[in-house]
Amino acid sequence: MLWLKCAALASLTLAMLAVPSILCAPQKSSFVHQKRYAMGTVFEIVIYDEDLPHADAAARAALDEVVRLDGIMSNYKPESDLSRMNRTAHFQPVRISRELYELIEESLFYSRHSDGQFDVSVGPLVDLWKAALVGGALPTAADQASAVRCVGYQKIELIPPDRIQFNSDCMRLDLGAIGKGYAVDRAVEILNHRDIHRAYIDAGGSTIYALGAAPGGNAWRVRLRDPSRKLDPEVMLINNSVSTSEQSAPGSLQGDAPGHIILPGTGKPLQTRYTISVTAPSATASDALSTTLLLLGPTKGAALAKALHNVSAIWIDSDGQRTLAGDGVSFLLTGENRPIHVSPLKNRVTAISKTAKEFLP
Amino acid sequence: MRRMSFLYMLFLGSIAACTPVTAKVFLRVEPSPLPPADKTGIHDVVLLWPLRNLSAGAKLRSQGYRVFLQCESKDLAAAAVAADRAAFSGMIVTNTVTTGQTPVVEQLRPYIAAHKSLTFRVLVPGGKQPQMKGRLVVERDGVLQVSNPSSQPWLDTNLALVRLAQSMDPESPPILYDFHWDTSEALPDVWHPDAEAYAVSIAEADATRSDVAIDLPAPLQRALVANDPRAWTLWKAIMPYLDLSSQAPTERTVPVVNLGVIVDDAQASYEATNLMARHNLAFESVRPSGLTLAHLKSWNSVVVFCPLNKEAVALLRNFAATGGIVIFVNTHDEFPWHSAPPLRQDPRITVYSIGTGQVVELAEPVVDPEHFARDLRRLIGRERSALALWNSLTTLVTGYHEQSRPDVTLYLVNYAAQPDNVQVQVKGHFTRVRLESPEEPCCVSLPFVERGGFTEFIIPRLRITARVHLDAARESSAAP
Repeated sequence: MLWLKCAALASLTLAMLAVPSILCAPQKSSFVHQKRYAMGTVFEIVIYDEDLPHADAAARAALDEVVRLDGIMSNYKPESDLSRMNRTAHFQPVRISRELYELIEESLFYSRHSDGQFDVSVGPLVDLWKAALVGGALPTAADQASAVRCVGYQKIELIPPDRIQFNSDCMRLDLGAIGKGYAVDRAVEILNHRDIHRAYIDAGGSTIYALGAAPGGNAWRVRLRDPSRKLDPEVMLINNSVSTSEQSAPGSLQGDAPGHIILPGTGKPLQTRYTISVTAPSATASDALSTTLLLLGPTKGAALAKALHNVSAIWIDSDGQRTLAGDGVSFLLTGENRPIHVSPLKNRVTAISKTAKEFLP
Repeated sequence: MRRMSFLYMLFLGSIAACTPVTAKVFLRVEPSPLPPADKTGIHDVVLLWPLRNLSAGAKLRSQGYRVFLQCESKDLAAAAVAADRAAFSGMIVTNTVTTGQTPVVEQLRPYIAAHKSLTFRVLVPGGKQPQMKGRLVVERDGVLQVSNPSSQPWLDTNLALVRLAQSMDPESPPILYDFHWDTSEALPDVWHPDAEAYAVSIAEADATRSDVAIDLPAPLQRALVANDPRAWTLWKAIMPYLDLSSQAPTERTVPVVNLGVIVDDAQASYEATNLMARHNLAFESVRPSGLTLAHLKSWNSVVVFCPLNKEAVALLRNFAATGGIVIFVNTHDEFPWHSAPPLRQDPRITVYSIGTGQVVELAEPVVDPEHFARDLRRLIGRERSALALWNSLTTLVTGYHEQSRPDVTLYLVNYAAQPDNVQVQVKGHFTRVRLESPEEPCCVSLPFVERGGFTEFIIPRLRITARVHLDAARESSAAP
């Protein structure tokens, strides 16, 4: 029932700071800032534009689109397209909306490239563990085994142009690891159509897209989550996105709180000491990849990141150990003794996704 | 000094709250024309001292308003005389903190005696505009900053402020708080705040069973007087919320709670209790000296933020022995249960099992209130929660029942001000569940189910506020 559970429970993901060195202070009246609750978090848009009523209307339209998509992709609203599909698509094709079809298709791309570590069919496991997250008993091994049986992206059959079938009697999809990014991309699309050139779109801090550059500068400077508080990583964004993922922290009062990110293969919460930030040309890609690469870990994840184009990833643990991979945007580690730019490896080529093809060489 | 001041003000607020309750919403206005009360739907207005022309108050009275004069405590003598002469309804006193060590009740007593026709209210400080906040703020120089580290919606609510103030005098009528509108992102040629902001403010006061003083911006006041259609469109959108608020039950009620919070330093424990409120932990707060067996009977969990005497420790030991959960924050005291080995121990936390319950001792203050509140909710668990919402991260729920009746009324406020499907779980068995809201005049029956000692129902489309009446079995035939 928790829509986009991963997003709702992730915390302390990104901090954004457009610093004066790159951002000349614009007039107070030159921006609009709107926020809207959707997908279990707050979407925020800041637009800098001389025509404020125009910017205001654009921000409103973009957020309306996010809310509309929430209505399609929510897994706790019983009337949503996703909920209806989750109730009826077992062993028979059902028609779904274009947006849902597109997003599931893209999700399958990441599933295939991560050997199933990223898997939107993890819904039964998410449901199983969410009770424990709010104080219920931990699921039994039998419960876990039963839920794992329902998981497997290979059992999702997309039938072009707009139908889907689950080859399982208990499958349920959960778009929590990719839906917010998709919504951000659609919001960006609307802002582009309305000739907005400088905007910052933030989906609860875990996924951010920077449209154009910050006023007075040539990019948006975004400070990333750093569990070690030693590196203070930052990234400069212009027409690209960054997402951050980490497993939720154990409880301080009980100490045995399960995390919200579940391993599809084992049916258990992921145990990791890392926080990961991923940049990509689209928010859908950065959102999906941040979960995927967190699940894979720095060794296998770096291999995947290096195989992608225009993607950068940084894993940081609580001791400040870091792993970088990819050929996308450079990270700036300002917390080092001497601030350094870290540019991941270059010359790696592969498709990221269907919607990201425009960024391919 | 600051800590003392905060406590002092809470204490002051509770003293003054012993005076009769007059209104739910006080509208703070300019001393200039205002449309009559029967058009605005407001009954109580506040003018600020110093007031050059008392005739403005007389004019407002003639238009059907009860007029209050707000002043700082240092000006109370002169202001009360002026208010009395002008036949105002009462005084609202602020900034009483600088008056030294004399008990505030003693300071006020001469004025209360001298001006028997006036009602004296004291404004509890620290109120904030109720709203859903995002992570970003745009500073004055235009630089974007992150304001809030949580990815969850951050609700600015006044519930903790009210609960802490109530703990100073649980027998008192509602307290009075105020706030000032955040105008940092107002756009030109657009009314700011908008109707939703007023509505949320009114609804929150209703849900906290408190009184609130709300500013009416001067341009809006002038536009209403000038019959500006845009201004009246805005105001007519607010009026249903005023109507609903005015129809709230007036009987003395008791909050539905399962969690007790013991505090003697309201400021030090404010952020933790604020996050408890935001996470819909159904709590009430008491001072250590106010802790009674009756409190413990209505709780299943307790958080202790202050040192306790032996009697209180004994009460809590018995509470834990019969299944209760007790959490001591930042404690380094010796307790009787330390004679037994702990169930779990690390440098920050020690857990003891006592009877069928447990005592958790945290060696440090709460450094991450958000995390603490979430952990607390987990520790208490749904089966122990008197009230719970499923999803609805932007909605606050409070519940109340009359002392002698088991019927419960829930108050819900959706700070996101956009329709949400709210799933509610209330401990207890009820025979009828009825919804009342600005969109649904009283009352629409809601389907409900009983599960494991809880009553569960869904509010399909909570926009900003609703009241839900739950009739207990033995009262069903007599319920209105």
